[in-house]
Amino acid sequence: MTATWVQVLASYLHLLAVAVYVGGSVAMEFVLGPAQRFVPPAQAQVLAQKSADRFLVLVWSSLALLPVSGMLLFFSLSDQHLVSSGDIVSTGSGRTLLAMMVLWAVLAVNGAVITFVYRPRLASKASGRGGGARVGEQLEAMQRAASRVSWLTRADLVIALVVVLLGASLAYGNGIL
Amino acid sequence: MRTALGYAFTVEWAVYVGGALFMELVWRPVQRHVPPGQTGVLCHTMGRRYRWLALACLGAIAATWAAWQEAGGPGAVSVARWSGLAAAWLALVALVVVMGLLVHPRSHDRLREGEDRAELRRRRLRSIRVMDALLRVELAVALVGALVAAWPHGAGPGPSL
Repeated sequence: MTATWVQVLASYLHLLAVAVYVGGSVAMEFVLGPAQRFVPPAQAQVLAQKSADRFLVLVWSSLALLPVSGMLLFFSLSDQHLVSSGDIVSTGSGRTLLAMMVLWAVLAVNGAVITFVYRPRLASKASGRGGGARVGEQLEAMQRAASRVSWLTRADLVIALVVVLLGASLAYGNGIL
Repeated sequence: MRTALGYAFTVEWAVYVGGALFMELVWRPVQRHVPPGQTGVLCHTMGRRYRWLALACLGAIAATWAAWQEAGGPGAVSVARWSGLAAAWLALVALVVVMGLLVHPRSHDRLREGEDRAELRRRRLRSIRVMDALLRVELAVALVGALVAAWPHGAGPGPSL
């Protein structure tokens, strides 16, 4: 495999990972989300849960693929000096790359919070044990978790769009930071 | 300017391809967990919204590409890459228009005069089957289009379709 083919493969995988994350979030937020209002609440909850479960698999695959394809692209373009020397803080390209890494880490942390903290709360069923007050508390906690997931998902979409902007500035220039 | 246009081009392709992948990998399997009547309602609403999103992305891709060419282009663009991208774009526009304006409305058709329910059901199922096939073709074309769009500038003339 020549360097050219590595570049093509890395570039394509990188775009696909971005597409899955950004395009999937847009579809989730602007296509599936509003459509849920047209079905009964119980059904909308099942729909939201099943679609979120599947979408999270795509999100994690994309988050894993982004650094792998990014590094492959980086090394195939012989830009590794940016990370192996002090260039990462002293040049515009280095700082842009560093910012992309930090934002990727933020996306990964947010993804982990949604997957391991809020999703289990949303998936749990309200139990009748402890009386009506306990059920009310559980439902309130679920609503809080749902609104935080929604807020985090929107924040992630904005962060992902900033990461793409930083990536475009590296691909078509020398970074913007 | 190059960065802004490159950013717009990437985001537009990403939203289009990601939307198509979402429909195939998330929405299609999730439909199995929804009662048929509600699947119809959801398909109708989502189909309409997705159609406008897809057309907006395709329109924006064309506008960005034109502006990019005007501004000197993303480096040297070979005839093969340009024609490959144009062919993929035209095929996607044709597919979205055919699905959105022809096949999708037919899958929500109402009973015609003198028609029995079995015939209506057959007609709807036929449209749904055609729609499913077209959605897969659309996804395949979008993935090939993304390959052409993602082709690095320094990596040769690009794939010819």
